[in-house]
Amino acid sequence: MQPCVDMTLLDDILAQYPHEEQSLIQVLQDVQRAYNYLPCEVLEKVASELKVPLAKVFSVSTFYKAFSLNPQGKVIIKVCTGTACHIRGATQIIDEVERRLGIKPGETTEDLGFTLHTVNCVGACAMAPVVIVGDKYVGAAKASDMHKYLTVAKGGDNEN
Amino acid sequence: MPRLVIDGKTVVAKEGTFLLQAAREAGIDIPTLCEHPAVEPYGGCRMCLVDVTRPEWDGWSKMVVSCLFPVEDGIIVSTKSERVMNTRRVVIDLLLARCPNTPLVQKMAAEYGIEKTSYVQNPEPTDCILCGLCTRVCDEMGTSAISSSSRGAGREIAPPFNEPPPDCIGCLACAEICPTGFIKYETSNSKRVIWNKEFEMLRCPTCGRGHITKAQAAWHDGKVPGRYFEQCDACKRKAQAAMAVTLMGGSQIR
Repeated sequence: MQPCVDMTLLDDILAQYPHEEQSLIQVLQDVQRAYNYLPCEVLEKVASELKVPLAKVFSVSTFYKAFSLNPQGKVIIKVCTGTACHIRGATQIIDEVERRLGIKPGETTEDLGFTLHTVNCVGACAMAPVVIVGDKYVGAAKASDMHKYLTVAKGGDNEN
Repeated sequence: MPRLVIDGKTVVAKEGTFLLQAAREAGIDIPTLCEHPAVEPYGGCRMCLVDVTRPEWDGWSKMVVSCLFPVEDGIIVSTKSERVMNTRRVVIDLLLARCPNTPLVQKMAAEYGIEKTSYVQNPEPTDCILCGLCTRVCDEMGTSAISSSSRGAGREIAPPFNEPPPDCIGCLACAEICPTGFIKYETSNSKRVIWNKEFEMLRCPTCGRGHITKAQAAWHDGKVPGRYFEQCDACKRKAQAAMAVTLMGGSQIR
């Protein structure tokens, strides 16, 4: 069972949109932002409030990469594994993050601090290898510098 | 009414019909996997691809899914051109890679000369061809209890959160329409299990057969006359026949 979630956040979100099928993705985006994932209970309420079948809500929630049904870390680390980044050492960067945080790609640390994802290309191949820590793009990233980025991300807020 | 040529045959089709339907009415067979008269066309399986051209197009042609292409006046359609056959071969070859043990797919692949897929075979063979018939029939006629989840290689048909679907009424429409038998269920006179959800059956007072789930009868409540589901279909027919015989004053024909 998942821990109880604060449903008032959802009420605030739902108040901003017309309660119809078209609002579904916007509501889910706001839910993802507010809760950092899409909790089951919240999806059930979204379905009943927007009058969309739960199966549809589930389908949309699993279709888009931007949505996650599992709690995500405060800081999401995306390591680009596109061709250019791969050649310039993305694998070493992934190894380093895995070693430092003890998680594999797709997993989240137990304290919900970090989530590690691999992505296929972020369109910044000239800066390869690219790592996105929170909202910050790091070009020409080095495996040996990863601990710095992680510390900064953990210390400061993930906005910058 | 649009006049078109399909495989050299002049066909007059009804306005607003789709190419697939027009071809079938003219006796020309086009293979399909995701088509079913009970649901809207979907264009998902890509087996019904055909070539469409016009005399003024100078030999240029386009491939369309015939199940979703409305008939137009003056088009020339070929359902068995080399390009069409090659493309269908790719489609069925890919499906055979996904579903190597599924008789329907094997049979269709064999019709296109494929015994074994030329792609890497799916290490976890499945019978689901992702035709979407089950989710569409549930959407259009049932309760939208199941849907497809994820996308790309991970796409699958699943109830919400992969748990017994709360909206399912156990009508079996998804299992009945499934062309490959991927959707499994068990049913007896007392209970029915589908999507891991258990249903209690409504039993016919005359013959004792469990003929519909209580959940389905409740869902139909108000849409059909009050005691419509009390008796099973077979007993209802028998009762009607008996009544007809009585009304006609004759003795029962055995």
